[in-house]
Amino acid sequence: MIERLKELCSLYGPSGFEDEVREYIKEFANLYADEIIEDTMGNLMVFRKGKRTSTQMIMLCAHMDEVGFIVKGITDDGMIKFGFVGGIDPRVVIGRHVRFGKVSGVVGIKAVHLTSASERKTMPKSSDLYIDIGATSKSQAEGLVELGDYGIFESRCVEFGDGLFKAKAIDDRFGCAVLMDILKDQPPVDTWFVFTVQEEVGLRGAQPATYRINPDICIVVEGTTAADLADVEKHNRVCALRNGAVIPFMDRGTIYSQEVFEKLRTIAKENNIKWQTKQMVAGGTDAGRIHLSRDGVKVCTVAAPVRYIHSPSCVAAVEDMQGVLNLVKLFLEEVK
Amino acid sequence: MDIKETLIELCEIPGISGFECKAAEYSKNLLKPYCDKVEIDRMGNVIGYRNCHKENAKTVILDAHLDQIGFIVTEVLDDGFLRFTQVGGVDPRMLLGMEVTILADKEYYGIISCMPPHLVKPSEQDKAVPMGEMVIDTGFIDIKDKIKVGTPIVYGERVRELSKGVITGKCLDDRAGIIAIVNALDKLKDEKLDVNIVVLFSVQEETSALGATIGTYKVRPDYGIAVDVGHARTPDAPSSKTFEFGGGVMIGMGPNLNTKLTKSLIKTAKREDIKYQQEIMEGHTGTNAWTMQVTALGAAMGLLSIPLKYMHTQIETIKISDLESVSELIYQFLRTFDGEVRI
Repeated sequence: MIERLKELCSLYGPSGFEDEVREYIKEFANLYADEIIEDTMGNLMVFRKGKRTSTQMIMLCAHMDEVGFIVKGITDDGMIKFGFVGGIDPRVVIGRHVRFGKVSGVVGIKAVHLTSASERKTMPKSSDLYIDIGATSKSQAEGLVELGDYGIFESRCVEFGDGLFKAKAIDDRFGCAVLMDILKDQPPVDTWFVFTVQEEVGLRGAQPATYRINPDICIVVEGTTAADLADVEKHNRVCALRNGAVIPFMDRGTIYSQEVFEKLRTIAKENNIKWQTKQMVAGGTDAGRIHLSRDGVKVCTVAAPVRYIHSPSCVAAVEDMQGVLNLVKLFLEEVK
Repeated sequence: MDIKETLIELCEIPGISGFECKAAEYSKNLLKPYCDKVEIDRMGNVIGYRNCHKENAKTVILDAHLDQIGFIVTEVLDDGFLRFTQVGGVDPRMLLGMEVTILADKEYYGIISCMPPHLVKPSEQDKAVPMGEMVIDTGFIDIKDKIKVGTPIVYGERVRELSKGVITGKCLDDRAGIIAIVNALDKLKDEKLDVNIVVLFSVQEETSALGATIGTYKVRPDYGIAVDVGHARTPDAPSSKTFEFGGGVMIGMGPNLNTKLTKSLIKTAKREDIKYQQEIMEGHTGTNAWTMQVTALGAAMGLLSIPLKYMHTQIETIKISDLESVSELIYQFLRTFDGEVRI
């Protein structure tokens, strides 16, 4: 799974411009799918018959998009003014490498020598930030990027420490990797694999996709924020790396189906799969839209804990990701 | 020489102040083809000598510093985390989420930890996290047997070409200066000179100017040219304190710098049609020229700077053409220099 995840994380897919990710997954799905649907928004829905049929329609969901940037203006000296696409923490962007298509850029900050002590204690306003693409005039910059161009963090994949993996966009290419893995081996039951767009800007893609598929049960596979860092008290850590798959009982968008939650918990326990729940009600997933669809959908999220989510350096543990994959597979085997 | 390739290669060799030896070895090899003798002194300076073999010839020292700013481990915590502090001046506001390389017996990868936004109080969102409250995540369950207090740390991102002829990355301050000097020597290699040249690639400029102090003491030059980087213009910096990116070599002027030498440099730039800009520095130049001017019997100093954006970050950015204009000016000046500056 890690090799595929590396490829997925390297793809270009800010919310609203997921084309490269969709093409990559579609090419793969073509080998295994019984049916493939692409809708107007760009959601990719892949059906594969299982080893048996179920009385309930099962949907697995992961989002293809990642947080990114959009060009809002070009200054006279050739710098890019930009907006954030999705919930990027402005504190992590300064000094980072970004990319608009093939054009590289860096988020600038003036030299420390030119700052005052009080300036260094306050973050610059997001509206004052700018991206340097190596152009020295407006016209030169205009030849390289256009208003409305989407950008992403540029960040290589690294395996480091004791079994950790770092990349951009682990949220939620990890989920895409899990779905692709299950699709490849033929799922235990008939399953719709739904790859959504625009999760990061308000769970936009999940709504029409769920309406179309009309599932009874949905499992959202995600990356979720982990704050198991030095100096963070235990009760504030939400979840921790290497403590296993995260099965939240609720987050800020959804109270998860008690029935599915208990089922997942039982499966994890019986099969010795490490699992944890969130110790804090934080974050949200596509489930926030999915559970509201039509007559309602029983939904749960199974997530890998991810440090520094929404930054260019998301970090997840390989063992947790493997645990999520195992748990979702076993759930499909046991679903009635 | 291939300026771009050599520069990128040199910048990828870590060498924070006090830990310059690998960069010194590499730079020594760069100098060898152009010098009669190259040595590394007891503090780690690289010193290369090119003798003109003329009686009573004057000596010109060309200086650029080897060291880069960075960090150092101050405490090894539980669960694979490290506390650290800066070596040289760093703005803490660009550090969260940054990748670093920890230079223990082996190189280790790390990320400067960033608290998720939901744990940051709304009243503190605009506040910069001070460096003392930051930690590095090494990803290990326990790091205590691998990394010790006092281990140097450098920026992890690689140096690269941002657009054609524009290089971005760590420690272009002052490895770009080193390459500018080597490039000038390359141009001078077939010229007969009237002065001796000594090249000093100095250690610890960012902290105490140790390398320039002892190097100058040893060499006792008559003239010196410090080659460093200067601030290029960016939207968030005052234009009065910054210079044109791509505007050519910055020639420093002020009490730290010898007026006759400086005017000769300007005259040379004009004569040879080299793009230059004048940087007026009323006091401390913040460069090795400051200490070199008064070491031993003193030296007549000049200062040439390459305009650079985002100094002391991992995205320091220069234009190769600016570096080349520094080389060209040194070359043209020394080619015709008889050891006396005249206005």
